[in-house]
Amino acid sequence: MSHTLKTALGVIALIALAAVGYFGLADNLAFMTQVVIMMIFVLSLDYVLGYAGISTLGHAAMFGTGAYAAAIFATSVSSDPILGILAGAVAGGAIALLSGFVLMRAHGLTLLMLSIAVTEVLHELANKYSGITGGADGLSFTPGPILGRFEFDFAGHIAYIYSVCLLLLVFIKLRVLTASPFGLAARGIRESQARMRAIGTPVYWRMLLIYTFGGAFAGVAGALSAQTTALVSLSVYDFQLSAGAVLMLILGGTGQLWGAILGTMVYMTVHQIASSVDPFNWLFIIGAMVLIVVYLVPNGLMALPALLLRWRRK
Amino acid sequence: MKFPSKWALATAGLAMIQSVAMADDTVKVGIIAPFSGPFASYGQQFKDGIDVYVAEHGVMAGTHKVEFVYKDSGGPNPAGVKAATQELLIKDGVKYLGGIVFTPNALAIAPLITQTKTPTVLFNAATSIINTKSPYFLRTSMTLPQVSAPMADWAIENGIKTVVTTVTDYGPGIDAETAFTKEFTAKGGKVIDAIRMPIQTSDFGPFLQRVKSKAPNAVFAFLPGGAPAFAFSKAYSDNGLAQAGIKAIGTGDIDDETTLQGLGASGIGIITSHHYSQAHDSPENKAFLAQLHKLRPNDVSNYATIGAYDGTFLLYKMISSTDGGDAAVKSVEGMSWTSPRGPVKLDPVSRSLDQNVYIREVVKGADGKLENKEIATYKDVPDLGMPAH
Repeated sequence: MSHTLKTALGVIALIALAAVGYFGLADNLAFMTQVVIMMIFVLSLDYVLGYAGISTLGHAAMFGTGAYAAAIFATSVSSDPILGILAGAVAGGAIALLSGFVLMRAHGLTLLMLSIAVTEVLHELANKYSGITGGADGLSFTPGPILGRFEFDFAGHIAYIYSVCLLLLVFIKLRVLTASPFGLAARGIRESQARMRAIGTPVYWRMLLIYTFGGAFAGVAGALSAQTTALVSLSVYDFQLSAGAVLMLILGGTGQLWGAILGTMVYMTVHQIASSVDPFNWLFIIGAMVLIVVYLVPNGLMALPALLLRWRRK
Repeated sequence: MKFPSKWALATAGLAMIQSVAMADDTVKVGIIAPFSGPFASYGQQFKDGIDVYVAEHGVMAGTHKVEFVYKDSGGPNPAGVKAATQELLIKDGVKYLGGIVFTPNALAIAPLITQTKTPTVLFNAATSIINTKSPYFLRTSMTLPQVSAPMADWAIENGIKTVVTTVTDYGPGIDAETAFTKEFTAKGGKVIDAIRMPIQTSDFGPFLQRVKSKAPNAVFAFLPGGAPAFAFSKAYSDNGLAQAGIKAIGTGDIDDETTLQGLGASGIGIITSHHYSQAHDSPENKAFLAQLHKLRPNDVSNYATIGAYDGTFLLYKMISSTDGGDAAVKSVEGMSWTSPRGPVKLDPVSRSLDQNVYIREVVKGADGKLENKEIATYKDVPDLGMPAH
């Protein structure tokens, strides 16, 4: 099957999935919008962590910066949501590029610690400059109508459709990016940096570029989250957000776009059901689920069909 | 004669069916609070407050049965809380909301409750500005200016002339610092240094050494309750500030009942201002505590418990006398009642409580446990943070 055909099928599958959600769970659109935003965020993480093997626990840095950029852009320049998303993407990419100059020189544990540190620094800056960011109280704003026509409505129809459209765009863009020679270089870097260097790839600059692209997509997710909530607070820089995204990605399977989508869907659905059935002890269910999956299917849910087939053959 | 009587019978029957249907109808109340993570104790205190009220008054408010739907908010999480609120309003069909610990969570749902005219009782979130964002917010906690300013008054009246303020460097800390400093300097006191401590600080020694070197009459503190407050008061005694004659004063957040016993001997003598102490001496508070200990023998009541208890009272009042929306809010605006914390009034403008603020000293009680003993009362203090005041 050609790559283009596969992408087209993927897009159709995503639209079908989104439509099932839209018509099947019509009174839960707000929750599903959250899932879609998280999918974009985890996809962006998959590109950085899954494809290029850049280990990070600080992806929230780009999400948060995108969110603040969208909010500040809306209050000071234009309330047009699409321009706001662009502002988020630029800001997310810019912060990834800036921090990447240092981060991409580090590896392994050092890189993990530094990525957390960058998020903490941004968190503290946002807290300190509360005149701009609203500090602990948060920054509220009113996003305008999309394309000058579609107002965000109370039940969340527009927010959901808008988010799904952005998810499709990000999905297609990432399909193209990962299949290009540039994407192949990313996989090469993940497998062996030394060999890539030997065949003449400028590894550092490639990684910096990948990190910047990943940051821009994370910025899109952050901006979208800001617009659908109409408020940004310090929680966008939470460590839990970075860690949660890594968990969802591992659950689904790294290095494949569908792994990010599946992992996010399963994790957030279980989270939603468990926390409404028992709002007091639901974390136990989540913990148990992650333990079981990681123990039995270490390569994530995407590896489940192949694993089952192998068991049957035995 | 036959026909009319049959008619009357049918009407009576219909009326009966209707009244049965009315008695049967359930009004749902969504409670949004942290039930997991580092702030889960708030959720537990809220639940205690609600359960005590329900145990005292039953599940019926007038002709309506009240059903609580709980949603876990985790910590400050506006995006998640907004989605959860949309779900409560659309899917669960709740008519009222309650709970809410954090300001950004409250601000995120302001447009939703305005659009749906859903009265929302804040059991905790304490920034004055929240209530200006929607006319459907009512608050049964307090605001930081409300409890910080009386602390300054008391300090002046008790011969404290110079103060160093030490607050955690985030929104509520800065609010407390601002309110205290404004009142204290207006009354002729002098703030000789203002220290803002990073939120992650666990060793307060250096800050208190700095306070000691400035030798003020007192150190004013605001820290989020729990571990930081404990570490602060321990550092206060370890660094010998008490011996140097520097009094510790602050808001009740630093020694609330859930962490009070942890302070141990180092806590004795700390002076704080707040709107509720478990040791408050009144028949209402005794009855409230008796019921609480019947339900949960090991739990204590603090400002969050009392916020939820009075919040549930307001919710029951609105549910029993109205069908929700604007009429519900109108029906309780300006209402006065006696809470276990003392006399309170829901101010019709700020929709926060006008209430007594008590100055309390940490002492060893008759049972050997620490308690916040009320030593002075400032009566009917309004929400001083509202622009109108």
